[in-house]
Amino acid sequence: MTLRIIRNVLFYALAVVWALPLYLLVVNALTHAANYGGAPSWVPKGFGFFDNLATAWAESQLGYGMLNSLLYSSASAGIAVLAAGMAGFAVVVMPTKRPTLWFWLIYLGTLLPLQIFLAPLFSSYVSTGMYDTNLGMILIYSAICVPFAFFIVRNYLTTIPPEIPEAAKLDGAGWARMFRSIHLPLIRSSLFAAFIFQFTWVWNDLLFGITLTTSPDRRPVMAALAEIDGGFSSFGPPVVLAAAIVASLPTIVLFLTCQRFFVSSLRAAR
Amino acid sequence: MTLLEKPRAEAGEDRPRPRPGLPLSTRDRLSAIPFLIGAVALVGALLLVPFIATVYQSLTRDNGFTSTFIGFENYLNLLENPTFGRSVLNTLMWTVGTLILPVGVGLLIAVLTNSVPGGRWLKYVFVLPYALSGTATAVIWGFILRSDGALNQAIEFFGGEASTSGWLLSWPTNTIVMIVASTWQATGVTVILFMIGLQAIPKEVVQAGELDGASGPRLFWHIILPQLRPVTVVVIGMSIANSLRVFDLIWLLTKGGPGASSETLAVTMYRQTFILSDYGTGAAVAVVLSVIIVGASWFYLRHQLKRG
Repeated sequence: MTLRIIRNVLFYALAVVWALPLYLLVVNALTHAANYGGAPSWVPKGFGFFDNLATAWAESQLGYGMLNSLLYSSASAGIAVLAAGMAGFAVVVMPTKRPTLWFWLIYLGTLLPLQIFLAPLFSSYVSTGMYDTNLGMILIYSAICVPFAFFIVRNYLTTIPPEIPEAAKLDGAGWARMFRSIHLPLIRSSLFAAFIFQFTWVWNDLLFGITLTTSPDRRPVMAALAEIDGGFSSFGPPVVLAAAIVASLPTIVLFLTCQRFFVSSLRAAR
Repeated sequence: MTLLEKPRAEAGEDRPRPRPGLPLSTRDRLSAIPFLIGAVALVGALLLVPFIATVYQSLTRDNGFTSTFIGFENYLNLLENPTFGRSVLNTLMWTVGTLILPVGVGLLIAVLTNSVPGGRWLKYVFVLPYALSGTATAVIWGFILRSDGALNQAIEFFGGEASTSGWLLSWPTNTIVMIVASTWQATGVTVILFMIGLQAIPKEVVQAGELDGASGPRLFWHIILPQLRPVTVVVIGMSIANSLRVFDLIWLLTKGGPGASSETLAVTMYRQTFILSDYGTGAAVAVVLSVIIVGASWFYLRHQLKRG
């Protein structure tokens, strides 16, 4: 009995600790920046959320950041998932020579820390005119997303019985046709899981954003948020917190609605 | 996001192979190229080539304009650099901290969720921060930890002595509070993974344990925990890899400072390269970090999977 009470108290105490930052975030993001008295508020004071947001929008082009990130996340995750699906097909289904070598070649990218790519990417982007361009960002994010998507899709493809492609082969289907009309529909759910996972990853990235872009109309949303955070004292905390909420909203919604897919992609990765 | 996965030395071995004795025509071999080219070109050009370039760069003295080959001098200089030592120490603290905190709390929450009243709904409080980016987490915790922030305010409200210098200005406090902030964000995924693991435990195993008279903590320790092994291996491997990569949170909260006191290797690399324009040293730090990450995950997973 005492054990149960201790257990419950512990759980609720942790829940309060976890909820408090979220509560403070919401309450202070709602407080009008002009009414912010220099100390965090613990109870809601008025409703200035949209005015705070307007400041963030005007001062740091948060809107551009959101649009850019929408472009980068969807384009890169889409390209990566397609490329990964095709490569997975080549390695698992097709009689490719040295599948293990190809596997490691593609997969190696995900083992290494991102820092090891940064400096050469920066200098080559500058010298080829890809620095601070939409194309440059889409390309690097696609490349970063390929290995993990490849891993998920490859694992899934190995569960498809080999009789299926063999039967298709006997029916005279070419590889392209087999991929399009047999495997693509079969791996659709794992492709979707990989897409959601990579979309979120790109949306949340800061490192490449601050390294490979500089102008407000090219940089992704987290780089814009980081800049707003740098102006903590000049705009006032409510503006920064409101910006953080809006910048996080898409991935929170995605996460809560697609929890099943998140879980299945995490599972597939095991 | 990475390193959830087992290293597969035998990758590709568990797949259907063409029947032996059936020679492949050249046409069949070449037909794979269009399928591989996209992934290989992206990874090769944008990841593998820069990787090799960084390894080479770490052997040069490079200020962004001129570069001279100097062998291992950058690495030797790192060994004598106290800032680098501090950075390694902080990285170690991050690794140990994220091993204990998110893994421990995540396991606790996952186990208690089903037995505590309201636990099913309250678990979202723990899961939700996982959907936030490191940048957003840093914004929220900056608001809490600054000298006029919410934490000091709460301490004063309860009559305590607030930390006048703020929580981020002296070592080791700054590293510790940032590990706590990271725990707040990262525990969600360990909760999810442990809950999957708990669901996968066969009911018969638990019932058999109960029949043998085990209950409460003993049931957990002797019956449930061993069953969670495979998930725990994944969670710990992931925590190690993530703790070694953490960048956003530190960069926004302290920029690694004051005086590089809260830097980890990931931050040191960035500052050496892009703030100090010392490309050679930055590259050497990146190589050291890579060796640690690849080595640690290889060692850990190999060891664990062998035992499992």
